[in-house]
Amino acid sequence: MNCVTLFRREGHRWLAFSNDGGKPDAVIDTNQYVVCADDGGAMLLDPGGMEAFPPMLAALTQEVAVENVRGIFFSHQDPDVSSSLPLWRRVCQPETRIHVPALWVSVLTHLDREATFAPIPDEGMEVTVGGQVKLRLIPAHYLHSPGNFHAYDPKARILFSGDMGGALVPAQAKSGLFVENFSSHVAYMETFHRRWMGSPRARDLWVETVSRLDIDIMAPQHGLAFKGDDVKRFLDWISRLELGSGCAAMAK
Amino acid sequence: MSQTATDGGGGTGSLRSSRIETRANALLGDCRRAFHAFGELDELAENLRILSLNAELAAGRAGEMGRAVRALTQYTRELVNRLAQIQGEMNSLRARTYSLSSTILRGLLNLQLFERAAELINAGSHDGATRTAANRAFAETMRTLVETLGDMASSVEDLSRRAHGIEEVVSQSDSIATNIAIEASAAGVHEKEFRTVSDTMRHYVDDLRKMIDEASDSVRRALEKGESLRRVGLENLQTLRSNGFLE
Repeated sequence: MNCVTLFRREGHRWLAFSNDGGKPDAVIDTNQYVVCADDGGAMLLDPGGMEAFPPMLAALTQEVAVENVRGIFFSHQDPDVSSSLPLWRRVCQPETRIHVPALWVSVLTHLDREATFAPIPDEGMEVTVGGQVKLRLIPAHYLHSPGNFHAYDPKARILFSGDMGGALVPAQAKSGLFVENFSSHVAYMETFHRRWMGSPRARDLWVETVSRLDIDIMAPQHGLAFKGDDVKRFLDWISRLELGSGCAAMAK
Repeated sequence: MSQTATDGGGGTGSLRSSRIETRANALLGDCRRAFHAFGELDELAENLRILSLNAELAAGRAGEMGRAVRALTQYTRELVNRLAQIQGEMNSLRARTYSLSSTILRGLLNLQLFERAAELINAGSHDGATRTAANRAFAETMRTLVETLGDMASSVEDLSRRAHGIEEVVSQSDSIATNIAIEASAAGVHEKEFRTVSDTMRHYVDDLRKMIDEASDSVRRALEKGESLRRVGLENLQTLRSNGFLE
């Protein structure tokens, strides 16, 4: 699994873990992110499914001691996001906070009945990674999950955008973690966004919110990250996209 | 921006967990087969209960000539009550066994994932503390699994005791059927009625015996596998302890 440092200012770091070379082909590739604070504390953002756990733990511990993981953020309830929860709880400290959308608390209990969750209210909240590093958990409901949040770091100017901006990029088309040609990248994300994102109203509200943020990097859970002008290009593109393509099958 | 890479490894060669997994899956399979075989116990016990009631009525109609048969049917009723008690215990045992099965299956999955993580970390350039932490996590998962396997082995022993209890009921019911047949031969006009009771009881006894034979085979195999698993688990824990990963 590759680890790319997206941002570093003294102890404040954003690490992206992706491209698990050992995973079975049937398992969808995911990006896992870790935010480290200047006081040594760290927070995992969507640490991945149980299949991703072994390489992720191995890769993470080359960068961060697992004892320093003070928080885990689950943007929503999907198995590729959260099924590793009981495994992480085994290696992290008992006091590690597990931030999950309030909507999914009772559902995620099915994965780990002994876990104690820190529910994120629908309106979102601010969480402290450690020291002066804080993340704003921004509501992104219905994009695609009905209880869904993205994480924004105003100091690093990075937005973790969960499934928003996600793409299924073939291995041979990847040369790094970032989108290099937005126009050609659209082909890898268009079908996904049309089908998985169901609410134009939620999309519009999200675009409005995110457009007000200073974002250098938008980092999704699947595929490649957007930086610089590509962030704006993505927002323009998603604003115009027709969503909810699954409805066509229902109308037949 | 910097970049480092950790080999994904492909998740192969998990020797310790695969040894346990193979045995555990076989154990769970034998338990499922045993409970499946015992699935007809409800119906057979109910049949025997109704037969004992009918036999008691027939013995009443026979008056003095049915006195011995009446005593035998009352004894049959006691056996039916014993069977009902075992049946209740088996239902609890089934629920417990399936709950343990679920915990074991989850534990096995966790064990494999922790073993893969520990392999990747041991093969990487991690520091000693990280290696120890990974191996400890694996060891703790193993300990939890071995404890659950121990509980499962105890459940299988309980199941074996219940199966033995049913065998006793079957054997005693067989004797009662024989005695009713003997009484029938001296019951004059009631012979046919008593013989029907005896024959029907024999038929139920045969069904029960067949059920027991099928189930006992699975229970015996489950007992052996439970014991073998317990040994493998304890050996693994011993190794992990001697390597300093468990206290």
